[in-house]
Amino acid sequence: MTEFYGLPNAGEFWHWTNALHFVLVGLAGGVALLAAYLHLKRHEEARRYTLWALALIALDLFVLWAESPARFRFTHIWLFLSFHPQSPIGWGAWGLALSFLTGGLLFLGKGPQRALAWAFLLFSLVALAYPGMALAVNLNRPLWNALLAGLFPLTALVLALALAALLGSPWAREPLRLFAGASLLLTALYPLTLAPEARGHLLEEGGFPFLLFLLLGLGAFQERLGPWMGLLSAAGLRALLVLVGQWQGFGL
Amino acid sequence: MPRYAMAIDLSLCVGCAACAVACKMENEVPPGVHRLWIRERELGVFPDLTVEFRPEQCLHCANPPCVPVCPTGASYQTKDGLVLVDPGKCIACGACVAACPYDARYLHPGGYVDKCTFCAHRLEKGGVPACVETCPTGCRAFGDLDDPESPVAKALKEAGRVDVLRPELGTQPKLFYLNAPSKKGLSQEREVRHD
Ligand code: SF4
Ligand code: SF4
Repeated sequence: MTEFYGLPNAGEFWHWTNALHFVLVGLAGGVALLAAYLHLKRHEEARRYTLWALALIALDLFVLWAESPARFRFTHIWLFLSFHPQSPIGWGAWGLALSFLTGGLLFLGKGPQRALAWAFLLFSLVALAYPGMALAVNLNRPLWNALLAGLFPLTALVLALALAALLGSPWAREPLRLFAGASLLLTALYPLTLAPEARGHLLEEGGFPFLLFLLLGLGAFQERLGPWMGLLSAAGLRALLVLVGQWQGFGL
Repeated sequence: MPRYAMAIDLSLCVGCAACAVACKMENEVPPGVHRLWIRERELGVFPDLTVEFRPEQCLHCANPPCVPVCPTGASYQTKDGLVLVDPGKCIACGACVAACPYDARYLHPGGYVDKCTFCAHRLEKGGVPACVETCPTGCRAFGDLDDPESPVAKALKEAGRVDVLRPELGTQPKLFYLNAPSKKGLSQEREVRHD
């Protein structure tokens, strides 16, 4: 038996508000990537999606600030007065900010459009990559293994493409199925990549929702409700992994 | 430059929590969060029983995973090996909390992350941490690892056995546990989970 005087600070540190941000930043990064791609393709919907990307990035950055206990201490300025290349969140801050800047210039039609579109693409890739990395860097958290560095970008693309499909863009359907398939495959494999102890924890703490989101994901291949299913599945999975992964294992 | 470290002799620790209380008072640690706590475990099967009293706190890892993940530089390591937080830069993003394998960090109600500082404010004045000063069994030793005459260096040298928490993670803790009561070394939750 284990008893304490006082307690280790083992409680949840990322709450549902952070989980919401993990969903939003997936959408934001994914839609930004789509928008950048559409710009490079000189697609007629490029501007429309750029506006969506700008709105989603702004919304996410607002949520990030609003949910931060440090919001009224205005310390967030330090994110941009320093550069910490080893910090995924540091990359995320710059990625999202520069994505917003380049996307904004593209939307306004200011500056060298082609170069800006490439920069937009690059920065949105950073925004897409960092959330999974922010989890996977924590080698002490058995559930946040390296697979998440792949699963999070994939689910972000599912989110973005599902949104695009819901917005009535016919080109989104096919890649949505592709990325939904890939992310479902990784999701199904995920429990197998965990040590038995960690797998047990996942199933105990989140087994039901995990299965639910996996099944919902299968619905992404469906014609009519596909985008909704994809959206819910990807969002649910991201939030779930953030929430149940805040676990140290039994090594202490 | 000193390389500050702490050693706790578990063969002497009785888990009285005087250190934890001294820390609370010295550092005005808010209710509900702890810079220092005691973990107590009963181990073994009668008649081969033992109990481990294990004070835990920030280990001021030499290779602290909590520092590189910080996006603002609020989490930093000093030249003398303390791992500290600059509240003026902390955005309370929790990246360092996620990265710490030891649950040593908490969100201070003031809106920043906080943790054990090895009583840096006392060290500056040539003192020792409050937990070390108050320990009634004298099981805590503190000082400069590089100075063979320091209490911590001496304690390490004389110890029958030296352990650190979760050594496999490569954090290189600078809080050492001496003379763990169990033959298997420091206890782990997975050992006692079946109770
Ligand atoms: S114990 Fe945790 S907070 Fe302290 S230095 Fe090590 S990783 Fe950082
Ligand atoms: S919570 Fe503060 S100290 Fe910790 S990583 Fe974030 S900014 Fe750095």
